[in-house]
Amino acid sequence: MSMYTNSVQRKTFVPPANNHQKGWLRRDWRLYVMLILPIAFYLIFCYKPMVGVLIAFQKYNMFKGMWGSKWVGLENFRFTMGMADFKYALRNTLWLNFLGLVVGFPVPIVLAIMLNEMKSVGLKKVSQTLLYLPHFLSWIIIGGMVLQIFSPKTGIINATLLRWGVIDKSIPFLSSGPHWQATYTLVGVWQGMGWGTILYLSAITGINPELFEAAKIDGANKMQQIWHVTLPGIRSTIVVLLILSVGQMMNISFDRPQILGNPQVRKYCDVLSTFVYRTGITNSKFERATAIGLFQSLVGLVLISAANIVSRQLGEDGIW
Amino acid sequence: MKKTLSILLALAMLLGLATAAIAEEDWITLRVETYDREITGLDVTNCWQLHYAQEHFGDPNHIKLEFVSFARWTEGDLLTTALAGGTAPDICVTYNGGLVQQCIDDEGIWQLDDLVNEYGANLKAFLGDELLTYGQSDHDGDGTPEQWYLPARRISRANVGNFIREDWLKALNMEKPTTIDEFTAYLRAAKEAQLAGENTVPFSFGIYAPDPLFNVRRFTDAWVDFSQVSEEDWFANARTPEMLPGAKEGFRWLNTLYHEGLIPETFALTDNDEANDTALIMGYNGFFSQQPDQPWRTDKNYEIEMEKNVEGAHWVTVNPFQNDSLGGKHLHDIYAPAGLSIIIPKTTSEEVAVAAMKYLDWMAIPENMFAMQNGLEGVNYEGLNEDGIPYGVKSADDVPDENKMHAGDICFISNGLCYGDDAKNAAALALPFKGYEEDVKASYADSLSDAWTQISFPVAIQAETDYGATVKSKQGEFLAAVVACDADAFDETYDQYIQETLDSGAAEMIEEFRAAYQAGNFRGVYPGNL
Repeated sequence: MSMYTNSVQRKTFVPPANNHQKGWLRRDWRLYVMLILPIAFYLIFCYKPMVGVLIAFQKYNMFKGMWGSKWVGLENFRFTMGMADFKYALRNTLWLNFLGLVVGFPVPIVLAIMLNEMKSVGLKKVSQTLLYLPHFLSWIIIGGMVLQIFSPKTGIINATLLRWGVIDKSIPFLSSGPHWQATYTLVGVWQGMGWGTILYLSAITGINPELFEAAKIDGANKMQQIWHVTLPGIRSTIVVLLILSVGQMMNISFDRPQILGNPQVRKYCDVLSTFVYRTGITNSKFERATAIGLFQSLVGLVLISAANIVSRQLGEDGIW
Repeated sequence: MKKTLSILLALAMLLGLATAAIAEEDWITLRVETYDREITGLDVTNCWQLHYAQEHFGDPNHIKLEFVSFARWTEGDLLTTALAGGTAPDICVTYNGGLVQQCIDDEGIWQLDDLVNEYGANLKAFLGDELLTYGQSDHDGDGTPEQWYLPARRISRANVGNFIREDWLKALNMEKPTTIDEFTAYLRAAKEAQLAGENTVPFSFGIYAPDPLFNVRRFTDAWVDFSQVSEEDWFANARTPEMLPGAKEGFRWLNTLYHEGLIPETFALTDNDEANDTALIMGYNGFFSQQPDQPWRTDKNYEIEMEKNVEGAHWVTVNPFQNDSLGGKHLHDIYAPAGLSIIIPKTTSEEVAVAAMKYLDWMAIPENMFAMQNGLEGVNYEGLNEDGIPYGVKSADDVPDENKMHAGDICFISNGLCYGDDAKNAAALALPFKGYEEDVKASYADSLSDAWTQISFPVAIQAETDYGATVKSKQGEFLAAVVACDADAFDETYDQYIQETLDSGAAEMIEEFRAAYQAGNFRGVYPGNL
């Protein structure tokens, strides 16, 4: 998270001139000592386990471990990617993430601007808290709520609409594929939008207030201020978050599709994570799960690099 | 003088410490996997059965017993992780046959022949030679199978329990249905009469995600045309009953029920179990199908809770699924004689593996098994009848926490309560259900009639390891689709999903099962031979 906040602040933060002079270690050693912990964290929990991807190329024997298992080349990739369900899982992963990005990405921006324009501090704080709340609910709980709200007959929405005579047949929120995908996307947006505003709000706070005053003096109304001052002010934040989102296109969480999904819409709700769980973990074929994971990471790397290049071409900072 | 004394004292103390250390070294720790069903008040890692076994087996043998808790319904995944991480208990038990097979393939468990022969005389006598063959396979390919796991002995093999509301039959003035037509008429009449108000859903139905057709085939097998199913076809379709000729009409029947509102509209949604349990207890349903003693079991209390909500409500066994191609037989599948699998991981040292086998052997001695399964007279049960079977068995709520127990999860070499011979065991099945003994007996009688033993294969079926989970998930999709699709689209939907199931690995499984059958490597019963 610190990565993007930095990129926002970079514009205003001017490093002290003597930063690169001799004696930096002696002067700042406390800061460097503090750095040891996060570096150790990354080494131990992020880099060391990477060696484990080697089992993607093995017929992994869980008792003999990585060094006692047979090497099989690309066999695991061939097998899993050749499975009939793989193409559904891949398609759904990309499609659901794409929907999430198109529908979900702009929402926190709009919301952050709206929150920023609120005059009453008390009201603003209350709204923010209420908006953050869903982020802290586990998907198990949300899954239960979704069932209560969207069930065909007993769900609040269908029951009400049926009673009022607005519809004469239940809306299949959870049992028809496209409906399910819409439900999935919107529930996700609802859950994440409040949390998503935090970065934008902090970016907006970083905008020089003089710009707003100048705009006001020039006769800009509220909408014009938003359009010409607020949005350009948070543009780099938006771009960085967009790049990161594009890089995540191949990754999808496990709990959300697993909990919201059901066999009736399996073709629409089966994604790579649930596919991996089924064919890799429950079958104790860890090497196949790893092969898919590696594949996802590689595609993710390509996507994020591409997005970064495009953003640089467009004159933005990018993430590296 | 003082100095000499203190030196002497110090020496004595050192000597004492050394002997203590030797005595300590003499003891070994034996870790035993124990299922945890989250019974309130029962701590499986510190329970009466553990203390009993420690006192009567552990202490005399200098073995410290430790029970390791594994949640019952996720045991397979938990054990997989524990085995992969090298932290599995010394004695592991599991219902996950695929995992056991993988352990054999990967040589991650002890080969048990020598251990059983040397330390397992009582165990061998209890399990019997025929049952032991279930745990044998020829891994090294020398022509003689080796013993890789110990199968638990199933005391009752009954699996199917179908239940209908006696009070609804009375209200509708109907006889208990004996054919599918009569049964369908009952469901329709119950819906028509709205016997539970607007909540009436006559047929309690859901999808059991881990194996969607396991419980459904007990209905659809009635439609299978056995004149078109050879014994070989039967075994080849061991995991794909939906593909047997005729089964399609069974699914069409379910489709009809769904569109008439006789099956819950939400049958395919997740979290259904809870909703279905509630509906049963509230008395909304007129039929359900589970284990033969399920309505009276205390874990769900379908009968007792329902009686509280609906006056006069009562579940009785029903047996309407006749198969015309078998001269009207009402088929019921029963379990193989082998229950869960007991393995000893390779991470366990030889010394501890010997202790493990000794413990299993100790468990097989009748008096020890009796204690481990029944607990104490006056605490867990009132007394013994003339056959030596406990009566007045108390429910967990009526037993103090320190005496709470779950027989099957700890005395796991026996799947079910064992009192010696089969007649006694059968008689004992109904005894714990006070006031409902006759209902339970009738249910078991139905479920053991025209019974065929479930299919298993004594050889590794690679295709099942590779595709089993995918095929099952596809079958869940299939079931949801064919039950809920428009009646006009049924044939098309059915054919499409059969094809998709075949494409997702079922074709390979069928082929390999067929080959195993042809090689004589199969177990189970073909209903055509009944």
